[in-house]
Amino acid sequence: MNKITSYYRLKDNRLTELYRSLEISYPKFFKMDRLCKAGFLASEMVFRSLGEDPQSPKHDTALVFMNSSSSLDNDMDYQTTILPGNYYPSPALFVYTLANIVTGEVAIRNKIFGETSFYISSEFSAKELIITAEGAFDGKGIRRVLCGWTEYFKDACDVLVMMVEKDAAEGLDFTEKNINQIY
Amino acid sequence: MEELILELKKQIIEALNLEEITPDDIDTNAPLFVEGLGLDSIDALELIVLMEKNYGIKLTDPGKSKEIFKSVATMAEYIQANRTK
Repeated sequence: MNKITSYYRLKDNRLTELYRSLEISYPKFFKMDRLCKAGFLASEMVFRSLGEDPQSPKHDTALVFMNSSSSLDNDMDYQTTILPGNYYPSPALFVYTLANIVTGEVAIRNKIFGETSFYISSEFSAKELIITAEGAFDGKGIRRVLCGWTEYFKDACDVLVMMVEKDAAEGLDFTEKNINQIY
Repeated sequence: MEELILELKKQIIEALNLEEITPDDIDTNAPLFVEGLGLDSIDALELIVLMEKNYGIKLTDPGKSKEIFKSVATMAEYIQANRTK
């Protein structure tokens, strides 16, 4: 049975305040959209609780995130830069108009070399999370999967990031019941 | 010119979300890319948009970009000579 060896639930939208309180030095954070910031911070907390250095390469780790609003929160910001009569498309906003950018940001920060993927679903589903995360274990050499629900839309932050490990001695069983309990 | 340089530094900080940097931290003559502020290619595009939006300057010759965006000082000089607003 795969086990959740660490998790972080983030519902507070004061992302910059959390970043500062963690005393992280990663200037790229400020350029990220809110979805990336939320996924980044929750992942940071998971790796911290595991005592892992973000800079140590992680060849045995895959990454699977899901949400329901995709990158709509940032897409709406971008839309304000392409209005008729005020058409100055922002490249910095445009690069975040894809939901899977959050997986890239987290993978770069934490040197995750396993496969990364992002799925859009109508609502949070522990069952779907299990199916997608367990599929990621099929990757060569993958022993653990950083996975979760990374939803951010209109100031509502709804994030749960978990580290799920194969054959871990300790942790919560990676079951629907346990996921729903920590969500 | 000093006023334009300060205004430009503030606009760069805002446009590029350089939240931990103040205008005083930006060396007017230091390289904007790689060294200095360490800006990347997306930042370069954002600076092109900034020039058009705030000063009405449309860069049509990509070959000139390297010289124009060398530092805040070179940007300010170009803006002063070519601004339409």
